[in-house]
Amino acid sequence: MPKSGLFRTTIALAVAAALAAIVAASAGASPAKKQDTTLTGAGSSLIAPALAVWKPLYGAARGVTVNYSSVGSGAGIKAITARTVDFGASDAPMTADQAAACNGCVQVPWALTATVPVYNIPGVGDTKLKLDGPTLAKIFLGQIKTWDDSAIKKLNPGLSLPSTSITVAHRADGSGDTYVFTDYLSKVSSVWKNEVGSATSVSWPTGVGGTGNSGVAAIVSSTPGSIGYISDAYVIQNHIAKARLKNASGRYTLPSIKSIGEAASLVKTVPADMNVSITNPPKTKNKKQWDAWPLSTFTYIIMPATTARAHDLKNFVTWALTHGQPPIAKYVFAPMPLVMIKAANKALTTVHS
Amino acid sequence: MSTLDLSSETTRRLHGRRVHLGDLLLQGIAGLAALAALVVIGLIVWKVIDGARESLSRFGLGFVTTVAWDPVHNLFGAGSFLYGTALTSLIALLLAGPLAMGIALFLTELAPRWIQAPVTALVETLAAIPSVVVGLWGILVLAPTLRDHVEPFLHRTFGFIPLFGNPQTGHDIFTAVIVLTIMILPIVSSISRELFLGVPSELKEAALGLGTTRWEMVRGVMFPYARGGIAAALILGLGRAVGEAIAVTQVIGGFVGTPVNLFSAGDTLASKIASEYQGAATNLETSALIHLALILLVFSLLVNVFAQVIVRSVARRQGLTGVRR
Repeated sequence: MPKSGLFRTTIALAVAAALAAIVAASAGASPAKKQDTTLTGAGSSLIAPALAVWKPLYGAARGVTVNYSSVGSGAGIKAITARTVDFGASDAPMTADQAAACNGCVQVPWALTATVPVYNIPGVGDTKLKLDGPTLAKIFLGQIKTWDDSAIKKLNPGLSLPSTSITVAHRADGSGDTYVFTDYLSKVSSVWKNEVGSATSVSWPTGVGGTGNSGVAAIVSSTPGSIGYISDAYVIQNHIAKARLKNASGRYTLPSIKSIGEAASLVKTVPADMNVSITNPPKTKNKKQWDAWPLSTFTYIIMPATTARAHDLKNFVTWALTHGQPPIAKYVFAPMPLVMIKAANKALTTVHS
Repeated sequence: MSTLDLSSETTRRLHGRRVHLGDLLLQGIAGLAALAALVVIGLIVWKVIDGARESLSRFGLGFVTTVAWDPVHNLFGAGSFLYGTALTSLIALLLAGPLAMGIALFLTELAPRWIQAPVTALVETLAAIPSVVVGLWGILVLAPTLRDHVEPFLHRTFGFIPLFGNPQTGHDIFTAVIVLTIMILPIVSSISRELFLGVPSELKEAALGLGTTRWEMVRGVMFPYARGGIAAALILGLGRAVGEAIAVTQVIGGFVGTPVNLFSAGDTLASKIASEYQGAATNLETSALIHLALILLVFSLLVNVFAQVIVRSVARRQGLTGVRR
């Protein structure tokens, strides 16, 4: 009998404890209890290395901890739309639908980086392969099937190309890299624009999908005859061969801080919604800009226009746009051009508490 | 006497009331637990249907057969993923079934005693490997190995069957099938092993005593005895294969279409949800993904009901010897 009494007491206690825990947990989850020395963000994986660099620097400089989860651009936009975070981050600017759903969100470009086509062709070393936009589009449309196709040969005189069949690798998950890449292909190929289009995730006419940059890198590095696209930061880690791409000025270029910066420097005006595409930058005779990398992109921070954290957010973005730029250069983030910083600062003034 | 009576009466009353109270408490707690499970299932189903509403109203039943996934042109359908799910899980079951039977028979009937325990433990360990680790191994080891050695061989030898077309990257339906086979093998084999252990030794000894060989005994006594349970084990394995997301996502290559060639990329319901949900750009795409989840949910439910029906019918047929597992 005492045993069962003890047992009962234990159960009652356990139930009470469980209930208390549930109540405590739900109370803790409410955003009202958030501390003022923390900013929480979620979104783009492209910007994640930059935020990892910024976190300790900004913490030391301003005493504010920036917690960021790299969950993908789409999820970042969802999170800020639901206001479960202080800011979202996306590589693709918000679509009209997303902007409407987000209900008064401000998007501000805060970093500049690039995507690059990578390949694995037996006997063809790093940066040896030259491609232009229309040829790249035909490869990804499945119209060019082998590496010794005349279209590729024409661009690469003197390069011995094997008759290996081409395996196209792309992202299986939604991604900013896909947005940049398909945005570019849509600009250089009307067939691509009409049949596939541009978005963070598209209906691929051919090829095999990998999850994340590392997934695509794994497929390309292990599959002879393959071609894919990944963030430039990942190329450095993976030792994969990069392709040269012909830009509108007729130059075969490679992504670098310099050539990405050149692409961004061709931006003259910035629309109010900050939606600036710098893929396939226009032709120029200015030698300081003619190596512009065609697959460059801005990446964005998204904030509510009206938020209690307006002060902290503005401070952080202003810091990121200035002090934050040099330390992320090692991950191939080029410095933001002045015209964009000005536009960003102007957009920041619309954020208030 | 009377005092004794009184005391025993008191005890009985006290005792009775206490049991009554305890019963109530137990009934309440257990009832709540059962209710909680029901509520959770109900909430999930409601939430999934609610989430899929936009896609349901836009695509209707045609969603199930439409082979497309085009976020740019807002055209979505489950056809390609249903095809991929059915193909991968059925072939995986076809491979894992006999293999699992072999393992179970070996461990119960054929293996020397000192081997049984360690091998049993190892097979169970296979079930404990997190699927993301299996998937990673699939990317790094299995896919290149299959692509360089197994797939070319199958293509050379059985190339006349459309299933064995030209190998490409190793990130394909075939690799997903092998990964799934490895993942469902321990479930099916450990349940079968338990079933075989449950076959009464009198039956086995009687068969052997009648002069049957070991194989005849296995075929004539053990399989019929465990039939219902084995069917249920296979269907449980099927359920696991159908629902597995991460490991499949890592190796299947994400392609929208209905390729007959096992060596080309494909996709399944679960892996499509896993790979696209985070990055879904529009509300319609999110809704279409939840629509896929709804189909998966209905499918899993059917698989479970089907398994129970089989177990019951076999148990009934076997009458008194009925296997209840």
